[in-house]
Amino acid sequence: MSSYFTRLCRDLVRNRAVYFMLLPVVAYYVIFHYGPMYGLQIAFKDFSPAKGIGGSPWVGWKHFESFFGSVYFGRILGNTLLLSLYSLIFFFPTGIIFALLLNELRSGKLRKAVQTISYMPHFISLVVIVGMLFDFLARDGLINQVLGYLGIEAIPFMRSPGWFRTIYISSEIWQSIGWSSIVYLAAISTVNPTLYEAARMDGAGRFKQMWHVTLPGIIPTITIMLILFIGKFMTVSFEKIILMYNPVIYETADVIQTYVYRKGILEADFSYSAAVGLFNAVISFALLITANAVAKKLGETKLW
Amino acid sequence: MKKKKWRRGMAYGMAAVLFAGILTACSGGSEGAAPAGSKVESGQTEGKNGYPASFSYWVELDGDSAVSMTNFNENEAYKKLEEMTGTKVDFKHPTGGGTQIQEQFNLMIASRNLPDVIQTNWLTVPKGPQNAIDDGTIIRLNDLIDQYAPNFKKYLDEHPDIANMIKTDKGDIYAFPFIREDDRLKVYYGPVIRKDWLDKVGMQPPTTIDEWEQVLTAFRDKDPNGNGKKDEIPFLLEVGAVRNDLLNSMIGAWGILDKFYQKDGKVYYGEIQPEFEQFLTTMHKWYTEGLIDKDFAAVDGKLKDAKTAGNQLGLLYGYSSGTIGKFTDLMKDSVPGFKMTALPNPTLNKGEVSAAGMISPTYPGEHSAAITSAAKHPEQIVKWLDLAYSDEGHMLFNFGIEGKSYTMVNGKPEYTELITDNPDKLTFKQAQAKFMRTQYGGPFVQDVESFLQQMKYPEQLDSLDVWSKAKNNLQLPLMTLTSEESSKIASIMNDVNTYSDEMVVKFIMGTEPLSNFPKYVEALKSFGIEEAIQVEQAALDRYSKR
Repeated sequence: MSSYFTRLCRDLVRNRAVYFMLLPVVAYYVIFHYGPMYGLQIAFKDFSPAKGIGGSPWVGWKHFESFFGSVYFGRILGNTLLLSLYSLIFFFPTGIIFALLLNELRSGKLRKAVQTISYMPHFISLVVIVGMLFDFLARDGLINQVLGYLGIEAIPFMRSPGWFRTIYISSEIWQSIGWSSIVYLAAISTVNPTLYEAARMDGAGRFKQMWHVTLPGIIPTITIMLILFIGKFMTVSFEKIILMYNPVIYETADVIQTYVYRKGILEADFSYSAAVGLFNAVISFALLITANAVAKKLGETKLW
Repeated sequence: MKKKKWRRGMAYGMAAVLFAGILTACSGGSEGAAPAGSKVESGQTEGKNGYPASFSYWVELDGDSAVSMTNFNENEAYKKLEEMTGTKVDFKHPTGGGTQIQEQFNLMIASRNLPDVIQTNWLTVPKGPQNAIDDGTIIRLNDLIDQYAPNFKKYLDEHPDIANMIKTDKGDIYAFPFIREDDRLKVYYGPVIRKDWLDKVGMQPPTTIDEWEQVLTAFRDKDPNGNGKKDEIPFLLEVGAVRNDLLNSMIGAWGILDKFYQKDGKVYYGEIQPEFEQFLTTMHKWYTEGLIDKDFAAVDGKLKDAKTAGNQLGLLYGYSSGTIGKFTDLMKDSVPGFKMTALPNPTLNKGEVSAAGMISPTYPGEHSAAITSAAKHPEQIVKWLDLAYSDEGHMLFNFGIEGKSYTMVNGKPEYTELITDNPDKLTFKQAQAKFMRTQYGGPFVQDVESFLQQMKYPEQLDSLDVWSKAKNNLQLPLMTLTSEESSKIASIMNDVNTYSDEMVVKFIMGTEPLSNFPKYVEALKSFGIEEAIQVEQAALDRYSKR
């Protein structure tokens, strides 16, 4: 044990610059992620600002019970899960497919151009993106004008509950397809070129090479990304929904986090929203553990 | 070699920057979690003549002020006040509008990072004003007013009815209030029609719902804006204004209010009444016939302005200055003959008077300044706030600086051209905002002259008369609830409002058939609306006994 500490100390001294650079990250997690956990207790209390976090009276499971009994419980849980499920099905594979396609491009210049263009939307602020959505999808917006030429009556996109998920997911794809392909491109570049040579010798065409060499080569990366994705399964893009939704489409757009925001921040019911948030976090945690366990069972790739 | 050194320097530099970033983030974080004892924001120190040397004051920066200033210290009235008292006020303005301000307010209260004075609508804060006192957020002012606020005390002694309104059921005074004493100050919102369009289609100003429908149909079909396109929006319905206790747009025609109201001392809830179903039926009919703006469900101020300024909108609900005055100013040159006039609140039958229109209570609750528990010398701040209720302060907040923003003509203050016809092209209210606070509100008594002189066009003055014709005997008084009652009402009404916001629009658009109205009523009952009615009834009974 002591030898471990001597080694650690020696390492700390030797690589002090590296550790120094790590410090902010550690501090970030301690301050912003572990520190606030102290406040989680208000989920089991009737929090009053005057009495403080420690001084507020304990009320047990009261807030959880009223959340599970709430008329909106089923709806917001369902909306959250559906939205996540849809992005898993429709959004998650896009980055992989896009990376595979880019990889097949022979012209370096074209490839660079496509990459740059597809990354661009990632750097646009979410507020601007949603603003653009509103403009394009307005009653007299671009999309409806095109539909008008085709003789289709204008569709109130941003006010139809039925359209919300489609708009949410497709704009997500548009914004992030380039960015999410980066990690896969990096993985592809590590695939041993001799494998391709061998495959070519065996008479594999370009599609077969992609299917039998590239794809298996990046499966570990895909698995890791999938586990991380599932860890965030209950965390839909809350800011985006807040910007996009209105009462008319609550039916499909209201998710756990927007509900927490309205309850907690706008109506100052902090304890109740802490309980809802905690519920959300526990589910996420369970999902992450399960996904990791399944991945461990199926192959060698895992988070820990 | 040189390059390597440079790189190394760069690396250390980066690390230092990151570290510094974390440090600042860290101090920001710990500030938020500071216990109630450490008053970071409160910078109050002792001053001269019994006034504070300085204190912090949280107040919304209204749109008209934001045009020419970023802080109330630039307002001439507050500058003058600083001259008089030697008090340096540290104004803290929340950013954004609407829910963003609500958000910042709630977080400020929860973090206990309180300024010395908070100006807001204390009647509508979560759990109500009594709870804010009991919780130790703000302080009870009764004794301090008796001792240190001679002007305000005198005013309350002369107006015992107003003194009653600004207290909680327990008799606590929690804020220095904004008061609209004169009845002419209380009505400033109602239906506004494009009179020039009305003349073009050759019709009389409509008074009943049926006549409204005829006029709106004519607006739809007869191309009153004369551009050859059928792009007119006959009527802009704002559901939020129908569901607003103060504005009561449309709903008075059906003899009810949208939410809680009383008849002969008994409390009712409007949205579960059969009259509300009739209202929805009519609105649904108008919507399907294209009389109501298709975008009505998601309309905001900006969109409303755009449609009005775009010469597309025929009838809307608006304000005497904020709509009639503003758009007449804006459009009279570009649209020849542009004329907006007020319509009376509509009724179902000819010759009736609408049950309710917009009317502000004498004490509207908003713009009231409370002193927080963070203030070290509340008595000094009381003395400072009391100035606004003195004769001098009254002139300052209502008319600004004599010789600059107003002059005395035959013993009466009159705004100068700096206000009425501003050389910098500021609108009337924007110009007022540089010198006084009456155009918006604040802890003082509003002067009726300051309001009437805003009315630059005769149509504006007329509107006040036209809109005040309503019975207005359904509205509840401004009752205060106990903290248990408040949290009960809050939890019921949160579910109700979320559901109603959604359903009312759906009924009007027809995505939910009106045959489902009974189901809607059932749902509201399952949320506990009847329980909420009982709570309101109890509060009303207590109020009547005050």
